[in-house]
Amino acid sequence: MKVRYFALARELASAESEAVTVPERSSVRDLARMLEEAHPALSSLRGSLKFSVNFDVAEPGTALNEGDEVGVLPPVAGG
Amino acid sequence: MAPTVRITRAPIDVAKVLRAVRDPSAGGMTLFLGTVRDRNEGRAVRGLEYQVYKGMAEKRMSAIEAEVRTKWPVRKMVMVHRYGRLRIGEVSVAVAVATEHRADAFGACRYAIDTIKRTLPLWKRESLSGGGEAWTKGEPIGA
Repeated sequence: MKVRYFALARELASAESEAVTVPERSSVRDLARMLEEAHPALSSLRGSLKFSVNFDVAEPGTALNEGDEVGVLPPVAGG
Repeated sequence: MAPTVRITRAPIDVAKVLRAVRDPSAGGMTLFLGTVRDRNEGRAVRGLEYQVYKGMAEKRMSAIEAEVRTKWPVRKMVMVHRYGRLRIGEVSVAVAVATEHRADAFGACRYAIDTIKRTLPLWKRESLSGGGEAWTKGEPIGA
């Protein structure tokens, strides 16, 4: 799947996007743990990060599928 | 017909936004413009750079329009949000709504801008007057 990082998460991960392979039946929670292991600096955002799956805000328990696009979203401030 | 929701790098043409919601059956229009402020949380700001998750933001905006239309009898509605580098005073977001009666125009416009702020994947990087840059503190994105 494709993981895209935004704002502070992009800086902390030092990446705009990356291809990630997760085991079958992984959830957003599992992916979050994997990403934090790969990019330890992301742990400073723990608790405030949200994830989207295919452009919709996801819950920690949301199931992931091959080909999904996941967004790593720090607190937002539009308008 | 021009799209009713747009995420764009180009400056927002306010006259064009208003033209797009003109409707002979509408008795009123509301227009909300968000502008770049020169201060935030007590710090002087020189300008902002908006970062956006464009595909998701467009999907969210279309969903907001659909939701607004189920709650208010909207004749026409346009929402535009900018990204990229903006100067102080520039328009960052525009919401225009035309309805038969004014109460609905105010209600729909208010709901749309509040929901944009709460649920669009957008981030602001402030250029501070004293030098340096910082991400604006935000809120976890709402569904």
